[in-house]
Amino acid sequence: MFLDPESRWAQRLNLFLFLLPALTIYILFAIYPTISVVEYSFTDWDGISPERNFVGLANYERLFSDKIFWAAFRNTFVWSGVVIVINVGLGLVIAAMLARVWKARLLIQTCIVLPVVISPMAVATIWRWLYQPTGAINQVLEVVGLGGLATPWLGSPDAALYALALAHSWSTIGLSVVIFLAGLQAVDENLYEAAHVDGANAFQSFRHVTLPALRPVTAVVFILTLTQSFKVFDIVWATTQGGPIRFSEILSTYMYKRGALENQYGYGSAIGVALLVIVSLATVVYMQIQSKENR
Amino acid sequence: MGRWILFFVLGVIAILMVSPLILTVFTSLKPTTELGNPPWAPPVSPTFEHYVRVWIDGGFSGYFFNTLVISAVDAVVMIAIASLAAYAMVFIEFRGKLALQVLFLIGLMVPVTAIVLPLFQIVRGFGLVNTHLGVIFADLALAVSVFVFLFSSYFIAVPKELHEAARIDGATEFQIYRRVVMPIATPAVVTTALLEFLWSWNDLLLRLLLLTRDEMRTLSVGLLNFQGTLTRDVTGLSSGTVIMAIPVVLLFLFFQRHFVRGMTAGAVK
Repeated sequence: MFLDPESRWAQRLNLFLFLLPALTIYILFAIYPTISVVEYSFTDWDGISPERNFVGLANYERLFSDKIFWAAFRNTFVWSGVVIVINVGLGLVIAAMLARVWKARLLIQTCIVLPVVISPMAVATIWRWLYQPTGAINQVLEVVGLGGLATPWLGSPDAALYALALAHSWSTIGLSVVIFLAGLQAVDENLYEAAHVDGANAFQSFRHVTLPALRPVTAVVFILTLTQSFKVFDIVWATTQGGPIRFSEILSTYMYKRGALENQYGYGSAIGVALLVIVSLATVVYMQIQSKENR
Repeated sequence: MGRWILFFVLGVIAILMVSPLILTVFTSLKPTTELGNPPWAPPVSPTFEHYVRVWIDGGFSGYFFNTLVISAVDAVVMIAIASLAAYAMVFIEFRGKLALQVLFLIGLMVPVTAIVLPLFQIVRGFGLVNTHLGVIFADLALAVSVFVFLFSSYFIAVPKELHEAARIDGATEFQIYRRVVMPIATPAVVTTALLEFLWSWNDLLLRLLLLTRDEMRTLSVGLLNFQGTLTRDVTGLSSGTVIMAIPVVLLFLFFQRHFVRGMTAGAVK
């Protein structure tokens, strides 16, 4: 086909104009910082002075021998574990129940999904109040005769991390339920029929029909919950700030303290790179499963 | 029989899920004299005095306005830049398209938390610390990938012949974008508007770093500060929380289906 040069130039200009706004903003404020965080992590920069020295792997060596970093690392995984158990386990059960109910289904679903849109900052404020030593949770425990379990949740070294993870779970489980529901609707009805004819009860058909059919969706929710947990900052920062002592310190809060508050930009960036690597790996796996799903 | 048990269990779960929100609303409406009552007791003589106090003395009117401006601009600009870029990716042939896709893919993988330190430096380099523009640029950059892929998925479904026919009729690319392609992608526009507005409305970390002057602050930072200085002001904190939650809760109730579809699609972010 004949291509006159003028229209080719016009097309080049079009391309440029269509891509320019998004690409400029994206490269300046997302790609460039991503490269910079790696670069900073090899320096001793304090974030302010014009001077910064290349220090090689010094920040990473420090990272590996930093007990607080490993505590934050462990806490981040514990957090993810708690949220995964609740969001995958309970999320699946709630979705399976919801799929079999017609009356008031939308109302029930709305109640369960509603917390998802609440700001993590508001979630933090609400749960900090609920968890107070004289707060609603301890009062409820008192009323139902479990007063012995009452504890100052966020002030307790044993409970703070789990209590905050639970609050995070409350605010994210709705998304898991919705994803599981979509997965459940795609399960072939005939399989349930067949199971019923073979004399399977509700639990058996859940165990042998629903669960295997939902395996890919479960993987999606699993990794999604994992990456969400690694991105948490607000809920911890607005409640315990990692305390008491370091018992609820997670990677993002530790990075913020070192980098933004103590001006150890180089070291903070090394923590950032660790976060980046973990989340990127998990996201790649997530996208692999998704594309396999959609095929 | 089994259905009723199921219904009952789900009802209990639903009530448990909304109860933290309901208790917060209760507390925000209680006059100070009723604060000794248990948190699950509804206010006997409800009052809006705490809302008025937080709104006027607590500075929440300013925070609210700032948040609204940033979120609305974010949503509108995001629709424009993401759909334009997606149009180029789908309808215009050029070399390096795959490389560009990979570049946008990176944006799906990078968590904001990991790159906030250099991001702050760049915003500072442009002299945009303590401006809403700085926050808006950062918001747009960190979420644009999600919406470029969202729009692309709608555009790919547009028959290529439609685009060809319009070209032959002499329409420019921009005319095709506006008159032919965008009307087909209306659901993507709605999803983008809702999600970007929600993410922007709810974010704390970027605003905490980039907005240090009180008159520039958003609700998230305002609430954090309020919490730091007035820990015991339970009624003030709960009314502040409700003020922050009401707009997104209303949006959710009106557009629930779009939200649910959008959140499952944009879940990776």
